Amino acid sequence: MRDDIGEGKIILPAKITRGSVINVRALLSHPMLTGMSRDQAGIPIPAWYVKEVEVTYGGERVAYFEWTSGISRDPFVGFSLRASREAPLSVTWKDNKGGVFTHSADVKFTTTTADATP
Amino acid sequence: MRDSLSRRTFLKSSALALATLAASASAAAAAPLIRGPDNEPDEDVKKVLRARFGARQIRDGHVTLDVPDVAPDSREVPLLIESDLSMTADDYVKGFHIIVDHNPDIYVAGFNFTAAIGGATLDTRIKMRRSSHVRIIAETSKGELWSTSRFVYTSLNGCV
Repeated sequence: MRDDIGEGKIILPAKITRGSVINVRALLSHPMLTGMSRDQAGIPIPAWYVKEVEVTYGGERVAYFEWTSGISRDPFVGFSLRASREAPLSVTWKDNKGGVFTHSADVKFTTTTADATP
Repeated sequence: MRDSLSRRTFLKSSALALATLAASASAAAAAPLIRGPDNEPDEDVKKVLRARFGARQIRDGHVTLDVPDVAPDSREVPLLIESDLSMTADDYVKGFHIIVDHNPDIYVAGFNFTAAIGGATLDTRIKMRRSSHVRIIAETSKGELWSTSRFVYTSLNGCV
């Protein structure tokens, strides 16, 4: 069995300006098993997949995904977000076996040129 | 003598065959390379659509799907979905729905958004059991449904 299940990351652009629409990428290590395959001994491998994904920004729910095992292994999702304020962005994945995995990143605005040291 | 003649005939005919192949290849390049079967959803797909959207009208347009015509790996078919519909506080794309006609779960996934998202784009990877139409339906906060579909050829069963 893989030992990295539940690891993941949220990737935000390096430069974010206030009010811009940014691209968020969220990745989780998860087998996403359909329950339709068998192991080498011919024993069916039970289904194990992420069913729900919730995205919060500053504690407020901004997106919610409903998945089946038709999403690929180590599920990846990229979506937009309006960077309206500096706040944490969290993604929580819930699987059909009760597993709950959360990963976060902070939306921080790039220092403006006026603030930068010369 | 006979041998060289037959050799020459062989060379001639193979050259002709090559020329024909090249000609048909360029003709194929001019026409769209991939054309899937009829776009009409079958009964199973219609049932899924009815269960989720009722009798609401689903129109073509305002949503684009970028996907390979031939998926190199049917366990990981990349989808890039975009919409040109507005994303304002009172009129926005509140969801994208992914439907794959020949998958065990026809309704593969739903992605629901609030107006805070600000942009109607989605990037993900799905599994495909076999060659099939991939349908995307964009749902607006006002309840309109817009769709697009692409036929994707696959080689192996990717539903593992």
